[in-house]
Amino acid sequence: MRKLNLHPIIFCIIPVITLIPVTIQILSDIHTGGLNILYSFFQASINPSLEKSIIKNAFNGIFITSAVGFISWILSCLFGIILGVLSSKFISKKILNKEFYAYIVKTLLSIPRSMHELIWGLLLIQFFGLNPWIAILAILIPYSSLVAKVISDQLDILDDKYFFACKTTGANNLISLLTTLTPKVYTTVRIYCGYRLECALRGATILGIFGLGGIGNNLILTLKSLQFQEMWTNLWILWFTLIIFEKVFSKTNNNLNRISIYSIPIITLIIASIIWLNYLGFELLTSVSVKGINLPSLIDIQKAFYELNIYKLIYETLLITFLASGIAIGLPILVSLVWPNFITTEIASICLSLLRLFPAPLTALLIILCTNPSISVASLALGLQNVGVMGRLLSENIKNQNKTYYKAMTSFVAGNKVSNLYGILTMQAKSYLSYAAYRSEMILRETALVGVVGGIGLGWQLQESLSSFDWPQVTLVIICYIVLIIIGENISGKFSNHWIMKRSESINLHHK
Amino acid sequence: MKNILELQSIDLKTNNKYRLKNISLSIKEGEHLALIGPNGSGKTSLISTINGTTYPTSGKILFRGEDIHRINKIKIATIWQDLRLIEELTVNQNVNIGLLGRKNLLWALKNLIGIINDNHNIRYLKAVGIKHELLNTLISNLSGGQKQRVAIARMLVQNADLLLADEPTSNLDFKLSTEIIELLVHKNELPKISIPKTCIVAIHKKDLIHKFNRIIGIKEGSIIIDTDINNYNEERLKEMFQ
Repeated sequence: MRKLNLHPIIFCIIPVITLIPVTIQILSDIHTGGLNILYSFFQASINPSLEKSIIKNAFNGIFITSAVGFISWILSCLFGIILGVLSSKFISKKILNKEFYAYIVKTLLSIPRSMHELIWGLLLIQFFGLNPWIAILAILIPYSSLVAKVISDQLDILDDKYFFACKTTGANNLISLLTTLTPKVYTTVRIYCGYRLECALRGATILGIFGLGGIGNNLILTLKSLQFQEMWTNLWILWFTLIIFEKVFSKTNNNLNRISIYSIPIITLIIASIIWLNYLGFELLTSVSVKGINLPSLIDIQKAFYELNIYKLIYETLLITFLASGIAIGLPILVSLVWPNFITTEIASICLSLLRLFPAPLTALLIILCTNPSISVASLALGLQNVGVMGRLLSENIKNQNKTYYKAMTSFVAGNKVSNLYGILTMQAKSYLSYAAYRSEMILRETALVGVVGGIGLGWQLQESLSSFDWPQVTLVIICYIVLIIIGENISGKFSNHWIMKRSESINLHHK
Repeated sequence: MKNILELQSIDLKTNNKYRLKNISLSIKEGEHLALIGPNGSGKTSLISTINGTTYPTSGKILFRGEDIHRINKIKIATIWQDLRLIEELTVNQNVNIGLLGRKNLLWALKNLIGIINDNHNIRYLKAVGIKHELLNTLISNLSGGQKQRVAIARMLVQNADLLLADEPTSNLDFKLSTEIIELLVHKNELPKISIPKTCIVAIHKKDLIHKFNRIIGIKEGSIIIDTDINNYNEERLKEMFQ
């Protein structure tokens, strides 16, 4: 019997099927009263409040969010680089003669990495109270370990022949490592750290939604009081700021190929952020008070296990991940299939930016205005935000793609849609799937965001347990999150590597 | 004259296959050795064993009478077959790598940032035919021949006593190859540039063999020709390549 051999593009499109049950459930729960509110929300988008005090408040909010985002970004990049070097097996082997030390650091870093900044924020509030520094710390902890992972992975795949070549000049191990590895990982680190700036600003907004100040706080307060015009003033200012940051940074980032030139704006940013912080009146030491808690015993955690329906919570969390990943992976490809040139247009770029920058908890809250809280609401909210991320990746890759095949297809196939499918999308499928695997892992982390809002999954349970200071339950939920994400990280890593390998094989075949 | 390098019964085995088999060799200061042999004969293995990047399975390598793996800073410079230049750095930064053995961490950092004065390197680059304007060009933007010359300049700044070169002229035309080999074997002296007095050069251009004063022929990991240039027999060389 002939073996069924599906093209990777099929695996890119199939996940969009998840949109069907999600839409059915949302539509079946819909109540018309809420539709009017939703209509007023969209109507307010073209009629935002221009009141001086509202605009001033919005700018004050965006200043705090940007300061939190910038500082946490810079610090997480710095700590990430240090931790990345410490967790690199390559470096550990060359300097300490053993990979074991790096293995320990890498394993320890998987714990802070596995918890979303929101979970860190919620936890740290319990220990230190409300303070803008908590937001910085909440972003700093997981982001440093994420940057560290990327750096150590990059270092560990490098060929050691450059190191040995440098050593033969008489240089010691440290100098040889520094000289040969830095230029090799510099570009990847620069691009990845640039990408993390947007994440840090998004994270700072989300933490604001959960009470840590800034524009996120303005957004949630105006939404809860249904002051949509005020909300849109804040939203437009947030979007314009983030888009300006993105444009300016990507332009600067692409032009800075030399370490020397790159270090100048970074140093300037660090100094500016410190002055900025001072101006905003952040008081680190005077405003932080540490509250002691009684650490739960194993018996307490065991009790919590019986109290909570933990399997159901895990199931819900995984289901949200599955449905949201399906939407995030499948929708950009589906749009590109139906509307071939849309994904690369400027309109698409704006739409994808808006989707990406609109915080998922707010989307969930807006949908809840006209339907009941459910797994579908949480999945759609999370999925839409990630459609922005996946769509952007697809559009950038298509823009940079060699269009020879597409032109060849149009010359004899005629149809634009068919040419787009065969000449563009099939070429993108493997790298897209490789990134999709990583994105699914990120979605699993982000379930905490919508779970808290939608009353579903581990994220919601964490919020509930934290509100009642039930530390055994908090510990149990966090352990479940960590285990789930470590497993997810391994599975997504395997899938991602699989598609990278497949892509390399086809490139090699093409060159032969 | 004193031995600068001595190889005592060197064996190198990888994946149960001998790369080098019972190699014994004494090299006197001032000797210029041409290392010849067919592809896969063990020339590169021999060079990387001498410079200490590969550990021999058995045997000893003595540099000025001392075990090479016990010396802190060996004065051996290498030009690699694949050059091992750092593509992401400039010509000047790559040449500076040759100086790292004599510099501290701060200097290495300055070199990475690209704020080291380039005056020192200009004469070395000029000696190998690299124009001054290319000093701040990234290696990735150079041609194969230019890269090869930068690798030679990096070796020259090292101020070593022994030079190992693995096919240093493979990407160069005959005229430039001749110039470079003459430079390495001191037939073409340059003012203010110290070139290692002794060299072992793996070479594939047979026309350049006569520039050296000793020929080492290697086949299947063993030395089968070791002769003075005056006693060099072209017939034996032909036999080796058959």
